[in-house]
Amino acid sequence: MNEKISLSEGSGGKEMQELIKKFREIFPIKKWKNEMDDAASLQFNGKLLFTTDSYVVTPVFFAGGNIGKIAFCGTVNDLAVMGAKPLGISLSIVLEEGFPKKDLFKIIDTIAGLSKKTGIPIITGDTKVMEKGSIDKIIINTSGIGKAEKILDEKISNGDRIIVSGGIGEHAATLLAERFNMKSKLKTDSKPLWNEINAVKKYIKQAKDITRGGLAAVLNELAEKNKKQFFIEEEKIPIKKEVRSLAEILGIDFYPFACEGRFVCICNKRNSKKVLKKLKKFNPLAREIGKVKRGNGVIVQTRFGKRILSWPSGKIVPRIC
Amino acid sequence: MNELIKKIHSVAKSLGRVKLMEVCGGHTNTVMKYGLKEILPENVKLVSGPGCPVCVTSQKDIDAVVEMALNGIKIATYGDMLRVPGTKKSLADARSEGADIQVVYSVDEIKEKDRVFFGIGFETTTPMTARLLEKGFTVFSAHKTMPNAMKSLAQKMKIDGFIDPGHVSTITGSKMWEEINLGVPQVIAGFTPEAVTRAILLLLEMIKRGEKRVKNDYREVVLPNGNIVAKRLINKTMKPIDAEWRGMGIIPNSGLTPRKEELDARIKYADLIKNIKSIENPACKCNEVIRGLIEPKECPLFGRKCTPENPQGACMVSETEGACAIAFKYGGKK
Repeated sequence: MNEKISLSEGSGGKEMQELIKKFREIFPIKKWKNEMDDAASLQFNGKLLFTTDSYVVTPVFFAGGNIGKIAFCGTVNDLAVMGAKPLGISLSIVLEEGFPKKDLFKIIDTIAGLSKKTGIPIITGDTKVMEKGSIDKIIINTSGIGKAEKILDEKISNGDRIIVSGGIGEHAATLLAERFNMKSKLKTDSKPLWNEINAVKKYIKQAKDITRGGLAAVLNELAEKNKKQFFIEEEKIPIKKEVRSLAEILGIDFYPFACEGRFVCICNKRNSKKVLKKLKKFNPLAREIGKVKRGNGVIVQTRFGKRILSWPSGKIVPRIC
Repeated sequence: MNELIKKIHSVAKSLGRVKLMEVCGGHTNTVMKYGLKEILPENVKLVSGPGCPVCVTSQKDIDAVVEMALNGIKIATYGDMLRVPGTKKSLADARSEGADIQVVYSVDEIKEKDRVFFGIGFETTTPMTARLLEKGFTVFSAHKTMPNAMKSLAQKMKIDGFIDPGHVSTITGSKMWEEINLGVPQVIAGFTPEAVTRAILLLLEMIKRGEKRVKNDYREVVLPNGNIVAKRLINKTMKPIDAEWRGMGIIPNSGLTPRKEELDARIKYADLIKNIKSIENPACKCNEVIRGLIEPKECPLFGRKCTPENPQGACMVSETEGACAIAFKYGGKK
């Protein structure tokens, strides 16, 4: 292990995965269950799920949202993809001295608006202020508890279908465009996913929200966890033209592009059409992108040959969520 | 699309073994990203050339800039340069020890005159460095020019045809390639998988007909005379020198250095860097990968000791241009 923390250990790729693995080895988990999942669960007449995440983002405000939106949605979504209805969220804010009050209340209003709209309350919180220069503007931590009758962790089989809930990479592309002073019509895809998951949870076996590390990380995580090969048809991946062009201009792959309101789910072949029909009501770009096979890793069939889709590694794109 | 591949297979049938080189790292990326190698006929071999600026930068240059940085000289450079291993340290190591190293996407981000820009790259990135020199900033130039390096490769490596670097050609123009006359067919190509596939077909057709022309198949951006403004700016601020390439040694007239000595960091800080002893890691096969002698996977370090997370050699650093990093990313460890 390196002696000092590097940026790549926070970029959602292999290095971060390894760091988290080391944390897991240190903390006793006991009756709670958590196997590379987004939230831990505890059996209690139904299941109680608990998750936490910290949020840093540059810029703090961007097209379609701000750090508050991704902090709320991120935790809601980690619960949702496990099949859990979010019951309550905690909100901790660490501010840099001198942070504009106006901006702080804009962020608070965003969170409050989402809380009202989704009916998911903010139930506890904390605020700290640190000396100027000791942190970058604002850090938010949210934790959440949720309740599920059945956790989405059914065993997957060869021939199962892999579905993505909408166009990928819009959040990353929005932030990149702003950072490089490019004008675009892009907006963050950040949104709470509970309604979408709730609509399809009967028909799907597993789900995972696409965040840092993008589709590349999610597909590799799911393939590794399930000890299966994921076979993806590149031409079927839904991606807006603007996102694709931005990736091309900057010379980077779109696969590791972060989303904040998209998920990948797996269902059997028979249910695929039903799931897609329901998901398309929320996002017309929902697509089946591939299937589960015997083997390991993620294979992409391009419109030419085949290749491996590897874990995102290093600091691929500037830190964005 | 399948039509192009079909045609390649049909033309290749009438040819013996053919070795083509894609010079530019951007082309290597396209080849690997779209799995083009696996759909080519068996007798057509595509080898990667020296077109990754990070990779061809000599160990000596890396060591020199690390030494400058450790001695308190403020440095600015492109992100990938940080992780290239030097003899003892990389620039990233120097930075974690407190050296002031700014990573830039564009040279316009450099504001302080006492910050030295470590400039790397071919004709494509040189104009930006030239602009910096015009504004009176100091530069440590590791800039390279393609033509003489390719001449040296064409002779030593028995390459049957070149896919010429597309972005380099936007600056140099297509005429330049005709003038240097490499003695084998060349196609200037763009970076889509269709463009690269078509370039392969055009090369095979020329080889079949015994032609040794340069075909510009990237006309949408490559003009016969290239980018005259950029060339003028480079010529005004920089002059050709013999440059050291990783893997290829010193190639005459293949580098560019500032015309004004007072802006040339190699001269300005000569005392600091003159006694540096650079030793390349003998286990690392970058030298051979750069010349297309071996595939990345044939290096004993590849995917074992040397990974994108922990690169042992320069070719494992740039995920968009380094042959080893690209092979790792799209082809896995084995």
